[in-house]
Amino acid sequence: MATIILQKRALLTVFIIAMSSVTLFAGGSSEPESDAFADRFEELSWDDIVVEAAGSELFWYMWGGSDSINTFVQTYVADRLREEYEVELEMVPVTDASVYVSKVLGEQQAGRTSGGSVDLVWINGENFRSMKEADLLFGPYASVLPNLTYVNVEDPTVANDFGFPVDGYESPYGSAQMVMVYDEARVESPPDTVPELIEWIRENPGRFTYPAPPDFTGSAFLRHLFYYAAGGYERLLGPFDQALFDEVAPAAWQLLNELEPFLWREGRTYPESSTQLQNLFANSEVDFDMSYNPSGAANLVAQGRYPESTRTFVFQEGTIGNTHYVAIPFNASNKAAALVAANLLLDPATQFEKAQADVWGDLPVVEVSRIPGEWQAAFAGLPLPPSVLPADVLQRSRLPELQSPWLEAIERGWIANVLQQ
Amino acid sequence: MNRGSWAALIAVAPAAAVVLVLLTGGVVIALSQSLSPESGETGMLTLAHFAAVVSAPGFGRSLLLTLWVALISTVLTIALAVLTALSLRRMRVFQRIATFIYQIPLTLPHMVVAAAGIMLLSQSGLLSRLLTSAGLISMPSQFPELVFDRGGVGIVLVYVWKQVPFVGLFALSVLQSVGADYEAAARTLGARPLQAVRHVLVPLVMPGLLPSSIIIFAFVFGAFEVPLLLGARFPSMISVLAYRLYTDVDLSLRPQSMALSFVIAIVVLVLVILYRAILTASSRRGLVEAES
Repeated sequence: MATIILQKRALLTVFIIAMSSVTLFAGGSSEPESDAFADRFEELSWDDIVVEAAGSELFWYMWGGSDSINTFVQTYVADRLREEYEVELEMVPVTDASVYVSKVLGEQQAGRTSGGSVDLVWINGENFRSMKEADLLFGPYASVLPNLTYVNVEDPTVANDFGFPVDGYESPYGSAQMVMVYDEARVESPPDTVPELIEWIRENPGRFTYPAPPDFTGSAFLRHLFYYAAGGYERLLGPFDQALFDEVAPAAWQLLNELEPFLWREGRTYPESSTQLQNLFANSEVDFDMSYNPSGAANLVAQGRYPESTRTFVFQEGTIGNTHYVAIPFNASNKAAALVAANLLLDPATQFEKAQADVWGDLPVVEVSRIPGEWQAAFAGLPLPPSVLPADVLQRSRLPELQSPWLEAIERGWIANVLQQ
Repeated sequence: MNRGSWAALIAVAPAAAVVLVLLTGGVVIALSQSLSPESGETGMLTLAHFAAVVSAPGFGRSLLLTLWVALISTVLTIALAVLTALSLRRMRVFQRIATFIYQIPLTLPHMVVAAAGIMLLSQSGLLSRLLTSAGLISMPSQFPELVFDRGGVGIVLVYVWKQVPFVGLFALSVLQSVGADYEAAARTLGARPLQAVRHVLVPLVMPGLLPSSIIIFAFVFGAFEVPLLLGARFPSMISVLAYRLYTDVDLSLRPQSMALSFVIAIVVLVLVILYRAILTASSRRGLVEAES
């Protein structure tokens, strides 16, 4: 009997806690307040910021899915930050931007407006938009970075992240472009236009697939087919237009559904991630991989995961490219250190280091004509592995990204009309 | 309360506090988010997120798949565990070896087993390649789809592999506590060996395994990492669906993710209550029969 009473009391206590917490949280999302650094920020010179950064720890949350990028950050960037600025870099690898978005959002909901656990994030356009709109970002800050002068901030692909104005709330540090990956030993001459690729897929059933959107790479590939089905991308630029979407989407879904029986596993399932597609390609289960990093395949060749005969190509119609950025959460503990790191990433030496194919092979975001002569010469002399396309070929065939509401509509449309059919 | 119950309460307090703070705290926050009004609006708590997830296209198939995977994993696990226990019950030497072998799966995390599953069972996996090079199938793609398949075969295999040893060892100890007398009695009364097992031993062991099967079912129903790693992109188990909503770029979908997690919790809770009711009823009936 005593235990029953005890149980009832415990239940009551739980109930009371539950109810009070519900009322607490239902009304509890607090307004973001500015912290001390943000208040002083306007008056600080760059030298003040460097002084303030010294001796602090910097937690950089970034996608950790590439060994070569991780190594570059943990050695080159971390070493320079430690030696030149006395900043201790802690790279926190995440599988998906949602990890740090959740963290910062949770801290905002809990009212933690300073001393946050995330100092710097590598962010993509969709998450930038949602974090910016939820007041989760510190800024505008980009204009205080001395090295930003090497960047052409007027360039619309730099000033807008997936069509959403950057407004100084994030700073660029590299750029990327979609390439298709194949093995010369298996496919002699790759189909280098979208209609030819479609034809190839029909003639070679089971040998092609793409990562299921919303995977970043799969979603980008999907947009190429969407551009094709819409008869060009030009009409889709600009703000999201539901009527236009409804007009062009059915053709895309029809194309993809007709293609589905010819895909890997007859389209009954898709790789969950681009890493899974890499495994399929490495295992010869499919004949094409795709990458939003023009040197990604070269890195895998260097690691011995892809054969030496691996090559890349871009569609004659062009492939989508974008700029990648870092941003600073509104409640970052060490904003000064984050600013120093954001600036270091734009340093010509850093840009050159990561442009080397055996380091990362990331395309520079600084304009080579704007940087000091010695670095211009260094860029001109960059060796090119056979699996990497020359920069001018990439540059010539670069297509713009759509605004993120388009992306979301296309991803959701694909799930409803292709995946679930 | 007397001194004994106070002492008991104090002894339980640390564990209870952890459960209360961490579990209840998490549950309460999740519940409040799942009931929170649409962003930008203020006002009353709403069930709109629950309605949205339950009526979403694909939810029905996800629920069916989840039930199917949980049910089939449970049935297979119990069946194999009982079989193992029965076949080991008299072989003392093998018992020690089997106990040792059975401890290996217990030490491996689910994620490791799932990764091993991909390497072994995928169409470019070890098994498929062995069969191809042995000439049993002509191409690796002829190997059956055991992972990333729509029926969740790979998921079931991993859970069965992980759980059979656990339940098997448990079944063995239940069997040993039953002792050899009942079986011997049945045999002297003329039962054939299989009859003795089927009508005497199995009914004696099963009640002891019912709690394990509830745990297995509830665990698999809400499990997440194996379905994410080994499941097809569609349909996916409910937990994976909740994860996708949670990681969606659109932050306004988070309440739906919480609501979906609650759907899982509610289904499990209902099943457990139902199961316990059946259990109590059947044990009462058992008592009545025994008395009459």
